[in-house]
Parts: sequence; C-alpha cells; structure tokens
Amino acid sequence: MRPGPILPEPSLSRALRVQFNVLGALIMREMHARFGRENLGYVWLFVEPMILAGCVATLHHIAGHGLPGGLAPFPFYVLSYTPYYLLRSIVTRASTALEANAALFFHARVRLHDVLMARTVLECAAVLVALTIFLTGVGILTDNWPREPLGIAMGLVLMALLMHGVALLVASLGVLGAHNVDRIVHPATYLSLPASGAFFMVWWFPAEMQEMILWIPTVHVYEFVRHSFYGDVVPFHYDISYLGAWILVTNTLGLVALRAARPHLET
Amino acid sequence: MLRLEGVWKSYRVRGRDKEVLRGVDAAVWKGDAIGILGRNGAGKSTLMRLIAGVEHPNAGRIQREMSISWPLGYGGALHGNLSGADNVRFVARIYGRPVDWTLGFCEEFAELGEHMRMPVRTYSSGMQSRLALALSLAVDFDCYLVDEMVAAGDARFAGRGREELMARRGRAALILVSHSEELVRNFCTSAAVLQDGKLHFHEDLDQAFAAYRAL
Repeated sequence: MRPGPILPEPSLSRALRVQFNVLGALIMREMHARFGRENLGYVWLFVEPMILAGCVATLHHIAGHGLPGGLAPFPFYVLSYTPYYLLRSIVTRASTALEANAALFFHARVRLHDVLMARTVLECAAVLVALTIFLTGVGILTDNWPREPLGIAMGLVLMALLMHGVALLVASLGVLGAHNVDRIVHPATYLSLPASGAFFMVWWFPAEMQEMILWIPTVHVYEFVRHSFYGDVVPFHYDISYLGAWILVTNTLGLVALRAARPHLET
Repeated sequence: MLRLEGVWKSYRVRGRDKEVLRGVDAAVWKGDAIGILGRNGAGKSTLMRLIAGVEHPNAGRIQREMSISWPLGYGGALHGNLSGADNVRFVARIYGRPVDWTLGFCEEFAELGEHMRMPVRTYSSGMQSRLALALSLAVDFDCYLVDEMVAAGDARFAGRGREELMARRGRAALILVSHSEELVRNFCTSAAVLQDGKLHFHEDLDQAFAAYRAL
C-alpha cells in the first residue's frame, strides 16, 4: 500500500521527528560513503582510532617513561591520544564538509548544521566505542579499571561539543571565501597537540604556570578524564563550568557564522 | 498552496551585485501545472532553488503550505559514491518514508535492475534522472519542480513520468521550467514568462507563447 502524504503541519513534535530522521539518515549515509559495505567496513570506524592510540601508548610503554605520581602509563597515553584523535577528526574534516556535501542541500530539510552534527555524533560514538574496547582490554590485562567510567565518557562528549563549536567556525570560514583555511587547520591541529594537555598534567607545573595553563579549555577535559580513570591519587585541576562556558561561546559563534555563510555556499 | 510575495534575489559576482529576480509574485495551488518560460540566464533555475528552499531570497517571502520536491534535473540530490539503493534509503529516511516500500517503488519505476547496487557515479545521465524522478514520485510531494532536462530525457521514460504526474493532478502541482513550447504544451495547463527578473502570468498557453516569442 502507498504510504500517506507528507503533511507540512508545523508542530514541535513534527519538527523534532524531521530533525531525528534527517540526523539518522545522514549518519547512515556518512558511514556508507566513508567505509563502504565491503571488507571490514564499519569496523574501521573503531579500529582506526584504536590502532593510533594503541601505537602511541605502546611506544611510551616500551620507552619506559615513568609518570610522576606512579600513574600507570599505558592507560595514561590511551587517554591522551583518544581525546586528541576526537579533536582532530572533528575539526579537520569540517573545512571541506559543506562543499563536499553540497548535493545534500538540494533537500531543503537538510540544513548545514545537520551535516556537521551528524559527523560529530559519528566521530564521538566511534571514539567512545574504541575507548570502551581499549579500557576493557587494559583492565583485563593489567587490572587497572577506571574509577568512574561515566566520567570518562562525559569528558569525551564535552570534548566533542567543544570541537563541534570550533568545527562550525572552521566550516563557515571555509565557505566564506577562505579556501586556504584547510591548509591552516591541519598544521594547527598538530601544533596544538603539545598545548592541548594531552601529554602533561597541571600539577607537574609550578603554581604560577598552572594558572596560565588552565586558560586552555582542552586541559580541563584531560584532567577530568584522568581524574575519572585514576581517582584521587594525585592532584587534578579542572573546572567543568569553565569548559561549559567555552562550549557555549564557540557553539553560539559557530552557529552565527554558519548563518552568515549559508548564502555563500555554491550548490 | 505555495505563495511568493515580492521575492528578490541577487548574487555577488566579482564584487558587484547581480540582480536575478526583482520582485517575483506567484501563487500555486494543488492541481496547477504551470510552465515557466524564459531565455537562458533569465533566472529559471534560481527561481526553482528558491521555491525548493535550497536557497533563500534576499527580500520578500515564500509561503509553503504544501510539501515541495527538490528541483528535479539539476544533478545534485544524489550522492555519486553511494549505490542507487543507498541513495533511495537515504532520501526515504530524510522524508520519513517507509524504506522498503520506497525501494520497491524505485526499483520498479526506474527499471535499473542490477545497477541499483552500483555507485550512482557509474550511471548515465538518463539513468540518474530516472532514479531521481522515481525517488521524488515515491516520496509523494504535493508540488513537483521539474527542469526540462528530465521531461525531455528519454522518450519512453518521459511517457511514464508524464503518466505518473498526470495521475496525480488534482492532488499535486507541477512547475516545469523550459524554453521549449512543445514541452510546456505537453505537461502544463498555464504558463508564465520570466523576464527581467519578474514573472508574468498569462491566461492561456497561446498568450504566454506569444509573449515569449516577442522577447
């Protein structure tokens, strides 16, 4: 039987349903387009961050770098690299996301923000699954289990939200004529690695430097994630409301920029 | 109903604003089949994109009280790296349609056979437009925006597409842009001429053609 017509009666519940349909469809499509249906297919989504994080952690483990406070190094480096992987994957893909998907905007229901949201959700979910597998492995092999697994997950979600705001800005700049933004974003994400807080902890530094370091929002993510893993064994410094403020500001500015960019996108 | 009120659209080309539409007014009801005639560059495709909601006007407003298809025949809308079937699934999900039913309809209507499992970039342009038309018919919009390329496409298929669209008269509207009189005569019951950024409606087709030829 032929299904009924799509009625454009405007209501909140309908708008939410449309939003939900569109996001779901975009996530499925992104997975099909990026990984195809053959071979390992979707498994790559999780394997990619796992290979990278695993190698980084193993290198540090073999090099035998001890950590101040006697923290177990393997989980430390896994928790260093996975949030950074999330940061990089959300931000670097944003610069070309809109132009590469211009055909999608032929469907008036698909808004620019939907495409970027679908990507962020997908990257975040992939990293969460990869990290779950990883930490379970670490737990079984070394008997180091996370104290607050939900805290770790929340930390990654906060990272994703913060980077989503940055991605909105990068994507808008890409459309607003700055085609070279791509060339700057790639090196910038690499250069940001040492400053992001991935490989240091705040308490390693003298008090006056700590204050400066804590201006960097991603540092708060790392401190929060590590605190959730190790528990109160060393001092941790972070402020979730400071991070929340960053998320709010970047996302608001990002949405404004995206609105400004909309008329300039060539479909 | 679809209503356009004083719709203006300009693009910035090399630092200067080029006005494409300068105050377009129109009203389209279910059951209407309107041909829009215009020379190359008159702004026909811009008008279609505005009606579809792909782009937004600089001034004026567009009121949509019916569901409107994406503009058929401008490429886009299909993703080259995805198979025909995955494209169908994607569009069905976007519009909240039952996926299996939509897929069945498209397989039957577009007659692509095994090609449905292959990436759309391997399709000929005729195959692409067949799939796009099948897909839009499956979604069942209230108003179809069609470029002449689709209508002219392949003769056998143009017949079936026309049949389907005609069968929906009364509950669906059709807007066809073209510079061919013959096509407009085949599909439409009234016509308008797009000229100097304005849309001029005519009572009957002959009048519209006369005005179009006088351009």
